[in-house]
Amino acid sequence: MSQPLLSVRGLYKAFGKVVTARDLDIDFHPGQLTSIIGPNGAGKSTLINVLTGALPADQGRILFQGRDITGLPVHQRVQMGLCRSFQVVNVFPGLSVFHNVQIPVLALAGRGRRVLGSLAREQEARRETERILEMVGLADKASQPASALSHGDQRLLEVGIALAARPRLLFLDEPTAGMNPVERREILAGIQRLSRQGVTTFVIVEHDMDIVFSLSDRVIVLHRGDIICDGEPSAVQCDPQVRECYLGEEVL
Amino acid sequence: MSRTWIGRLCWAAVLLGLLVVGLVGSRFVLYLAMRVMLLAIFALGYNLLFGRTGLLSFGHGAFYAGGAYGMALFYLHLNPDPLLGILVGVAVAALLALVIGFFCVRHTEIYFAMLTLAFGMMVFSLIWNLREITGGDDGLVGIGRDPVFGVISIARDGQFYFLVLLCFALTLWVVHRIRSSPFGLILAGIRENHQRSEFAGVAVKRYRLAAFVISGAFAGLSGALGAMLESNTDAFSAHWSHSAEPILVSLIGGIQTFSGPVVGSAVFVVLREVIERYTENWMLWFGLILLVIILGFRGGAMGAIERRLGGGES
Ligand SMILES: Nc1ncnc2c1ncn2[C@@H]1O[C@H](COP(=O)(O)OP(=O)(O)OP(=O)(O)O)[C@@H](O)[C@H]1O
Ligand SMILES: [Mg+2]
Repeated sequence: MSQPLLSVRGLYKAFGKVVTARDLDIDFHPGQLTSIIGPNGAGKSTLINVLTGALPADQGRILFQGRDITGLPVHQRVQMGLCRSFQVVNVFPGLSVFHNVQIPVLALAGRGRRVLGSLAREQEARRETERILEMVGLADKASQPASALSHGDQRLLEVGIALAARPRLLFLDEPTAGMNPVERREILAGIQRLSRQGVTTFVIVEHDMDIVFSLSDRVIVLHRGDIICDGEPSAVQCDPQVRECYLGEEVL
Repeated sequence: MSRTWIGRLCWAAVLLGLLVVGLVGSRFVLYLAMRVMLLAIFALGYNLLFGRTGLLSFGHGAFYAGGAYGMALFYLHLNPDPLLGILVGVAVAALLALVIGFFCVRHTEIYFAMLTLAFGMMVFSLIWNLREITGGDDGLVGIGRDPVFGVISIARDGQFYFLVLLCFALTLWVVHRIRSSPFGLILAGIRENHQRSEFAGVAVKRYRLAAFVISGAFAGLSGALGAMLESNTDAFSAHWSHSAEPILVSLIGGIQTFSGPVVGSAVFVVLREVIERYTENWMLWFGLILLVIILGFRGGAMGAIERRLGGGES
């Protein structure tokens, strides 16, 4: 198989006695749409926090495209192409939808250092921002303040900001939380489409099992800091240990 | 007519008005107008940090003093050229802001505020105690105003006024450019959500430091001009009570507006002048009136006006 995009080796993370990652080894491969599932408190969000730099690892190494990034600050990981969205909406509430997306676009293009230049003349950043708003379906709400959006639209913006950083690998932490079924289907179809284009590799945390098993190329099941199953959706679906400790018979 | 054009016309009218004041105003009016402009330069720069980046500093008096003492020492010991002196003052203030900011910007909110306060107090006590260099509580005296480029006299207040006006106009222009630049948008993003800014690929600390240094440089400009206006320096310009002025002024005018610090400065200087004439207890009345303005107009006077006109920030 090709060189992994992200490799995790011997990753250990605990909050006091709660172990959220126990010597994890994971490789994420380019183009492979991966889902991470597991019961509440399994350590899914914490794993994303550690891999993207929001929290330090207790032990272990993280390699991105072969480079050790274990100690790098968040913004440098983002600049390298490792980004994430948040489980709880985490946008720039007082700014317009357009500016919300424009900030990562400018930062990634290295335009933020232009202290006296005119924002209105940043044509390329404007086009890129419009493209992303079009993609997540918020183009007609570009001038509204983010705080005025409906919850579903804020979730879309959440994903839009993450995509605007042009990530090679993107973690989406429950991107459809609180969305209605229609919005949910739309955004997941969008993720699948983008994934096929091959620019961005997606890793999503999702609770809706129908979605997980129909969408993913690979499913990782996390339970109290351990990976109890890792493989193709069909294999994971049948795994007795997974059934026992997490999924519950009726879900399948 | 669009709002940007109304805004531009207003600013043109203000600058024209100040120009006329410079030509016909009495000495007292000139002095008052200069004090307003100096405070406005201080507050316009400060508000890039406060209103725009969302960082509350209690130490910017130190940078004002950096500009004043930098300018004065350069004048007294090295070279009497006024423009060079101002540049040196600004550079000293910016450098001081770089050093102090380096330690402060890794913290936010109350920790940031307290650190700036602590550093400000250190600078004040240094100025107070290093008598041989700074003159201690007497300050440095005898700062003259030599001609600009050796020919244009600024010795009289009526002449110096136009240098202050020029610096004020320049500050307006630069601060406006910064507010409408990509850099300015990133600062607003940091104010709104610094954690998400990191995940948007922004080196948050570096941008905070940049905003800190820029605001410090404008404080220094204000301080250098202030030393020239009064022809001496005052140790208390580094005191925390002076650091509170740009905060009050920004709050009066509206921290989310461009014009807020300017309007706030005018209100602050004129109100204080008027009240001081009528009562010895001016601080009490001044405080009460400021309280009413700040609490009465949430978002400041200009913020209230902008809401009336509709439309929002940036
Ligand atoms: N900052 C923190 N400090 C202390 N404990 C934490 C912290 N973050 C998470 N935890 C704990 O670590 C465990 C894993 O939390 P995490 O948020 O990673 O779970 P999750 O798998 O994302 O769950 P959910 O499905 O509810 O989002 C939980 O027991 C949680 O209480
Ligand atoms: Mg979670």
